[in-house]
Amino acid sequence: MTTTLELTNISKQFPGVKALDDVHFEMNAGEVHALLGENGAGKSTLIKIISGVHKPDRGTIRMSGQPVQFNNPREAQAKGIATIYQELSLYPELTVAENIFMGHAPRRKIGPLSIMDWRTAFERARELLASLNIYDLDVRRKVGSLTVGNRQRVEIAKALSINAQVLIMDEPTAALTEADVLRLFEIVRLLKQRGVGIIYISHRLQEVFELADRATVLRDGQYVGTKLVKDTSEDELISMMVGRTIDNLFPKLDTTIGNPVLEVRNLWNKPLCRDVSFQVRAGEIVGLAGLVGSGRSELAQTIFGFTPAQSGEIILNGKPIRVRTPGDAIRLGIAYVPEDRGTQGLVKQMNIRENASLAVLRSISRASFIKRAEERNLAKRAIEQLSIRAYSTEQVVNKLSGGNQQKVVVSKWLASKPKVLIMDEPTRGVDVGAKAEIHRLISELASQGLAILMISSELPEVLGMSDRILVMREGRVVAEFDRKDANQQNVVSAMIRESSAPNGTTAPEGVLQ
Amino acid sequence: MTSSTLQQSDEMKSGVRLRAFLLRQEVVLFLMMMIAIFILTLGSDKFLTLDNLLNQGRFLTEIALVALPMTFIIITGGIDLSVGSIMGLCAIVLGYMWNPTGPFQWPLELAVAFSLLVGVLCGLVNGLIIVRIGVPPLITTLATLALYRGLAEGISQARSVRNYPEYFYELGQGTLLGVPTQLWMVLVFVIITAIILSRTIFGRSLYAIGNNELGARFSGIPVGLYTIMIYAFSGLMSGIAAWVFVSRVTTTRSDMGTGLELDAIAAVVLGGTSIFGGSGSIVGTVIGLVLIQLLKNGLALSGVTTDGTIVVIGTVLILAILINNYIQRRASAVE
Repeated sequence: MTTTLELTNISKQFPGVKALDDVHFEMNAGEVHALLGENGAGKSTLIKIISGVHKPDRGTIRMSGQPVQFNNPREAQAKGIATIYQELSLYPELTVAENIFMGHAPRRKIGPLSIMDWRTAFERARELLASLNIYDLDVRRKVGSLTVGNRQRVEIAKALSINAQVLIMDEPTAALTEADVLRLFEIVRLLKQRGVGIIYISHRLQEVFELADRATVLRDGQYVGTKLVKDTSEDELISMMVGRTIDNLFPKLDTTIGNPVLEVRNLWNKPLCRDVSFQVRAGEIVGLAGLVGSGRSELAQTIFGFTPAQSGEIILNGKPIRVRTPGDAIRLGIAYVPEDRGTQGLVKQMNIRENASLAVLRSISRASFIKRAEERNLAKRAIEQLSIRAYSTEQVVNKLSGGNQQKVVVSKWLASKPKVLIMDEPTRGVDVGAKAEIHRLISELASQGLAILMISSELPEVLGMSDRILVMREGRVVAEFDRKDANQQNVVSAMIRESSAPNGTTAPEGVLQ
Repeated sequence: MTSSTLQQSDEMKSGVRLRAFLLRQEVVLFLMMMIAIFILTLGSDKFLTLDNLLNQGRFLTEIALVALPMTFIIITGGIDLSVGSIMGLCAIVLGYMWNPTGPFQWPLELAVAFSLLVGVLCGLVNGLIIVRIGVPPLITTLATLALYRGLAEGISQARSVRNYPEYFYELGQGTLLGVPTQLWMVLVFVIITAIILSRTIFGRSLYAIGNNELGARFSGIPVGLYTIMIYAFSGLMSGIAAWVFVSRVTTTRSDMGTGLELDAIAAVVLGGTSIFGGSGSIVGTVIGLVLIQLLKNGLALSGVTTDGTIVVIGTVLILAILINNYIQRRASAVE
């Protein structure tokens, strides 16, 4: 078999992070090669390098043995590399045929004019789709009116229209229905027979075992290894993905855990919050793990009243409560540090003082007039308590570093004197030093008796900080682990396993389903 | 950082603060206004007289009354194009309900109150469409601009109502302590809106909404309610403007207030309120209003033709905004 694509010693540095460090990847014609790794392992960076979006700092790319260099995605496309991203890149207002031939439409001449040859375009679009065994798609329809599955087929046809030798599929089944998944698999097998190499990224290991020939695993931007799928097991792949040791970055304090503060019973908010029940006790940090899109933020926002629950009970200190708006939640003592501080957590154009007080204006005002001295003191206390590095309370938040911005968000919610603090990715995009400070703060808050629900996509953070860990998948809480029982292996496997029957004999303890 | 070092650094910044004050949009605008006054005074000796200036206040009142809520709305990132039409509709309703030869023949006070209620309702409808249905403010109020004007024309049947009782003209034509009566009204509303915007939870929330609506929602601010409230307030102020206007011109016609929205928006934007939302002030709007009115009047007195005046005002608007943008960019680059 010939090697279509070969990457050796690829490194890529972004400001502040080493995204890829000495990574290898190779693919043969007619192979389906799975690319695996946790969120942030470097998969996206690698496929962006292959498809010409990013240039590697070091390393070489060879196609059919010849070294190549891509300065932009167009050059990669010209060499036959096509990418189907998670968020589809089609034009909804144009027809199927126009989308397929975007940028290289068949043309014909009328005198001096060169115009689009519609008849040829429609014909060739139909042929392309037929070659994928797709006969039920009208090439004259607008793409916006198609289902997600059909749009994806258009994307694949578009990739083939440039004679793709390498097709990159990033989480292609994430948004598909069962039936569409089966059709996608058929198409992938068809392409494979024709000698197209496919790089397949998916969190669903079952799919990898069904489709792929080989699997390459990345972890923290480093190359871990490549396995023949027929020679490996789910468990081996999982341990390759997570096999890193937890460093002592997490100064978890011992706390006395008290009575339940927040209790949630049979909470529904479709599609991503399905029959969720759990409790958080005073002084307890409950970690909420799960893949992106598993419904963790949706659950938090349901409890916070941003998207009020459809049914179910929320109980605070033994009393059932109704939370219809974030305002209700704040008054009742529920605080939520949102996932995206730039768009949700802060008003970046405003200064520290105005941000720190925004959620608690009522408590520092009389007859709706903001007491300015109290507001300034609030901001000063926030700066001191969280050691926010700023020259004054009047500094615009936009000009602070990511870590200090995050501290402002946290201070804003601490000012509301909550009984329950929900933190969604509290250390995302924060440098190591600030991260440790935020972890220490979380730990201190818990030891003062606050009930904390912490959502995080970073496993070491979840394992290091939590007294108890809940795992969500597809809107449900599917597993619960005590601090002492939890490890990377069993948490990840609860996050990604497709079915309730775990593979092999190492069924993780505590899996509920 | 301890509190004492924080205080010290606050004091050290006092020099910087003076500079920041001088570079504030409002201060820059005020200086521009002074320059304009100086030049216009050279053009005509009638310009800088108390009588003339106070009289100009009368012409400025209706625009000012709608420009105040317009400042609120533009700060949240919205716009209200229907204010002129609401004013026309309220004027017609006032005349129609009162008209001694018409079908209702209500007492004048009741007719005024009812027309104000109609104004509030018009604004409420705007707010509800924007918040509950999610139609952008520009589209919503463009539609209701036509709708309310159409209603006004339908009710009036192109007939004007005249011959109001003498005391009714006091508001639009009389004086109180030597100052035109309606200017007192403007003054009161300027003070109220300035305080609301700069000192209250409501005002702070408007800035938060304009800068980052999602962030405001996550902070527990009732964004929908506040949005509806400011459009309703805008309707009320358009109704009050109608009342003053009818009293000043002693008649009711359905085309009253045509183009009022553009004058108001021009004043607000000239006053430094960002059309994208998030920043602005009542003081700025007031300076913007005064500057435009003085230019109109001063140029007319200097013998510039009406067409010429419009060209000059347009040019000054663009220049003022360019100069202000330049200074603000410099200021934020230094920060």
